[in-house]
Amino acid sequence: MAKITDKIKEYTRPGYYEKFDYHWTMSIDLDRCTGCGACVVACQAENNLPIVGEKRFKERREMKWLRIERYWEGEYPNLKLKFLPMLCQQCDQAPCETPCPVAATYHNQDGLNTQIYNRCIGTRTCAVYCPYEVRYFNWFTYTWDEPLEQQLNPDVTVREKGVMEKCTFCVQRIRMAKDKAKDDNRRRVKDGEVTPACVQSCASEAMQFGDLNDPNSKVSKMTKNKRAYHVLEELNTKPSVVYLQKVEKHD
Amino acid sequence: MTNINRRDFLKLIGAGSVGTGAGVLYGEVTKQTVELLIPQVIPPEDYSPGIATWYNTTCGQCSAGCGISVRTREGRAKKIEGNPVHPVNQGRLCSMGQAGLNALYNPDRIRRPLKRNAPGGSFTPISWDEALTTLGRRLGNLKIQGKGNQVTLLSDGVRGHLDKLFATFMQELGSDNYLQYDFAFPNALYKANKILFDIDTLPYYDIKNTNYVLSFGADYLGTWLSPVHYSLAYGHLRQGRGKRRGKCVQIEPRMSLTGANADEWIPAKPGTEGLLAMAIANVIISDDHYRGSDIDDWASAVGSYSPSAVSGQTDITESEIKRIANDFIRHRPALAIAGDNIASGTNAVSNILAINALNYLAGNLNKEGGVIFNKKPSLVQSTQQRHASYIDMMGLRDAMSTGQVDTLIVHNTNPVFNLPNSSRFKEALTKVPYKVSLSSFMDETTDLVDLVLPLNTYLESWGDDIPEPGVGFTTATVLQPVVTPIYDTRSSGDIILTLAHQIGGELPVALPWTNMEDYLKAGWKEIYSGQIANSAFNSFDQFWRKALESGVWGENKTCVPDRKNKTKQVQLNNITIAPEFSGDEKDFPFTLLPYISQTFFDGKGANLPWLQELPDPMTSIVYNSWIELNPATAKKLGIKEGDLINVQSKEGSLQAPAFIFPAIRPDVIAIPIGQGHTQYGRYAKNRGVNPINILESIVDDASNALAWSSTRVKISKTGKHIDLVKTSGVTRTLGRQIFDKPGKHS
Amino acid sequence: MSISVGDAISSFKIPILMGVMVIFGFGIGYLINYTFFSDRSPVQPINFSHKIHVTDNNIQCMHCHAYVDKTPSAGVPSVKKCMGCHKAIATDKPEIIKLTEYWDKQEPIPWIKVHDVPDFVYFTHKRHIKAGIECQTCHGPIETMARVTRVSSLKMPWCVDCHTEKQVENGRDCVTCHK
Repeated sequence: MAKITDKIKEYTRPGYYEKFDYHWTMSIDLDRCTGCGACVVACQAENNLPIVGEKRFKERREMKWLRIERYWEGEYPNLKLKFLPMLCQQCDQAPCETPCPVAATYHNQDGLNTQIYNRCIGTRTCAVYCPYEVRYFNWFTYTWDEPLEQQLNPDVTVREKGVMEKCTFCVQRIRMAKDKAKDDNRRRVKDGEVTPACVQSCASEAMQFGDLNDPNSKVSKMTKNKRAYHVLEELNTKPSVVYLQKVEKHD
Repeated sequence: MTNINRRDFLKLIGAGSVGTGAGVLYGEVTKQTVELLIPQVIPPEDYSPGIATWYNTTCGQCSAGCGISVRTREGRAKKIEGNPVHPVNQGRLCSMGQAGLNALYNPDRIRRPLKRNAPGGSFTPISWDEALTTLGRRLGNLKIQGKGNQVTLLSDGVRGHLDKLFATFMQELGSDNYLQYDFAFPNALYKANKILFDIDTLPYYDIKNTNYVLSFGADYLGTWLSPVHYSLAYGHLRQGRGKRRGKCVQIEPRMSLTGANADEWIPAKPGTEGLLAMAIANVIISDDHYRGSDIDDWASAVGSYSPSAVSGQTDITESEIKRIANDFIRHRPALAIAGDNIASGTNAVSNILAINALNYLAGNLNKEGGVIFNKKPSLVQSTQQRHASYIDMMGLRDAMSTGQVDTLIVHNTNPVFNLPNSSRFKEALTKVPYKVSLSSFMDETTDLVDLVLPLNTYLESWGDDIPEPGVGFTTATVLQPVVTPIYDTRSSGDIILTLAHQIGGELPVALPWTNMEDYLKAGWKEIYSGQIANSAFNSFDQFWRKALESGVWGENKTCVPDRKNKTKQVQLNNITIAPEFSGDEKDFPFTLLPYISQTFFDGKGANLPWLQELPDPMTSIVYNSWIELNPATAKKLGIKEGDLINVQSKEGSLQAPAFIFPAIRPDVIAIPIGQGHTQYGRYAKNRGVNPINILESIVDDASNALAWSSTRVKISKTGKHIDLVKTSGVTRTLGRQIFDKPGKHS
Repeated sequence: MSISVGDAISSFKIPILMGVMVIFGFGIGYLINYTFFSDRSPVQPINFSHKIHVTDNNIQCMHCHAYVDKTPSAGVPSVKKCMGCHKAIATDKPEIIKLTEYWDKQEPIPWIKVHDVPDFVYFTHKRHIKAGIECQTCHGPIETMARVTRVSSLKMPWCVDCHTEKQVENGRDCVTCHK
């Protein structure tokens, strides 16, 4: 027992992940984000997200690892609509990891909050614990109308009924980038070599992705911006997704 | 238990044997099914199994002409991304572009040529030979009889060599009737630019470098002209230039995606935006900000539009108008643009003229951060003049109903869906003796024809394109097939060339090529030897390989504007700036604002499941149509979200659920265009409503375009209720720390 | 009159024991199936022998499995590749006649997979070859096999054991192999 508590103490220590090679981080500049939804489709295409149909959507069983939340402020005619792309925050102190009875979700050395599908038994506890509500449960085994299945990405598992799933920061792309780095006899992946599907598609360049351990990476610079904050920061989940506040002051 | 008798021993042995048998059986049943390892018979040359191959081509989902890179694995397309070297989208891509894979692998694609058995009867599959022989013979006979002019080709807005091929084909056939029709084509914008600046192509709106975007309805982040390029520019305007953060102001009666992102959203009375622009011009002149030699002309043109005179009509206070005018001047270089609903009323051209005049008066023309004129495309012609206005379409309708059209060939466009019922286009179409449709999907128009020739999607075809609006320098892209056609379909170019040979006579002489690839290469060889040779390439083949590899060819220059000041005389004297509406205000108290949906565009995207499942950016609704109402209006009429509302115009009615939308004027209701298909495959069919149906056939006289924002309606409750399917529940932050640092909120 | 506890147990004893025997037998049966009737060495549509090709004729692995150091999959040779040699070599042998028939019909040979990992596993030949792992480490003495037999379990513990032993970087991280 003592051993487990020691371990927890160790990895909740601030800066624990800095000793590893990477700390994958995403920054989302809300001043650039237009809320257009290109990232949502990019994610669906890349990660084999099912087409659930109107009925399932109505039952709130949509499977969108990345969604855009909208919040209104003010009253007509002085209204504002703010957009917030919400995806798995890959928390360093993830509330979803501790309750899993089979350790199907855990934090790896790259700072990723991983979800191992074949290990998951579908208790859905993690989804209850997640304050960002970004975990999605497969209530059914979804199928694709022939020949739409020809589009499925062979680098990503097609999930089955009874499995929890969520944003992986496109771990398959990280894997490919590492593979390429090894081919080129490089120790590390260069900044900009990994771009998750959503970041790649973003037309206003609101999203950046990279390694926080590299002080010169684009994303490191973004996190040092004065506008940088975490959503629901007071929960102390230490997310790996950094948001940059929308600028509201103008002359 | 001390010992076991014989009977018990046998029982135990029996139990053990049953167990063993079950175990063996279980092992057998749970064995992995035998998977086969199928080798290739002949190894392909263009890919290795297990690793992705990327092809660069051009997006065909809208008219912006973005370059795309398609990731393929084992010969199948897996993902579409933007082409990083393309100057328009620079590696980025919108949701519609990415959903192109849904079009390619759509389960509802037409898989083989179809022939209608008898008028009103069903379709039977036929062979390509039979289909093209039938059509070829018919066209050949008409040509021989000198009735070539009875053939009409109605296409979507194709550009480049496919357009050239269509034109040559029709010309050789002896027909002048080659039209292009797209609902979203900005006729009025072209017309206004022609009047004021004498240009035929769209200018480059330099949002990237401007300080102040004054947009009158142009949803440049959502649907207007080239949204990916403008989004890139917008990101740069906001945070890409250090401290110089640009400001965005949006004037429109219903908040669009761009309005949501603007710093100020100003709901002027629908149709009066031109008046507002005149008032702003008035302030610019009276406050002595314009000092050109023609100041007197301008002063007399806008003299009567003082802010106090306009304030009442536009529903914007005098001080607000003055403030906007001063901001516009103070933040130069600034940019005034007009589009979408503001450019689709009865006064569309007048509106745009007034708004364009602001750019002239503030000195924003041909300046970084202003309006920069594009040079005429020198490589492949882009032919806007073929685009049919609404009046042209009505001309076609009359020709069809009076028997002047013997054979109508429809290519990839869907006028039956995109024209209002009041146009009576559908009725006229059915009178045409022989109708042919070249289309990938069974849309509303294709459903009415006699012969269906299934097309390859743009991901399976050869072609080329020039982006419109251009990016300030000459550029062209090549389309190449990224996968082999998955069904028995052919590309438009191949079909036309085969027909040319089928018909015979002069046609094969003018079009000696047998397939689109050869035609395209021959065309580019000509361009190469005329304009590109002596550049960095040794030979045409080298150039062509390079062009296919990078997917785009252009003069590698940064924006070099055409410096000539193109403004002609003041054109604001005799314009009719006041809007007209169908239906009077008493009987029809609401202005109906149909708007181009960001997910379905003009309805083209409704059959793509990813787009059906993509929550609408403003309302988060999926899979349906809705009617947007101001909360005050809804409260007055006792309407709640999901209540089925009857919308009645002079021309018809439709029913759809209500959505209480905070950012819309109380005297306006809005319905997205795109749903309401009666055909078009399983994902689109019988879903939602099409607001175009109930529009009245009124046009903007200056551009002949349909004034689709000028219909008034009345609404009533039906008593029925439909639950709208949407993703967002709570639409307020309720004090949660979502947009701020902790501690800032309370 | 009273019923003793012992009597109660003994009256249930035989059914309980029978249950135990059923479970025990089930395990034995499964094991028998697993050991003797496993799918480790299926009969292939053409009786291809690695022994003849590699040991007897000294053809290198990479000659046929050309992609093994370049892509995740080793690449089973195309029928054309087989015919590249067998147009001229051993054309009279019955197995080669079968091959020629496939080629004449332009049909692929439906080989039965011997080494297969589930779809949720990402396995790449390239990385293993580039790390200097011999083919035989996983495929056994493949060069001597007249019919391909799987010698490794290809189960997760087998993978992890090797990754641990060789101290593969991040070799025990789930997402290294699970996609």
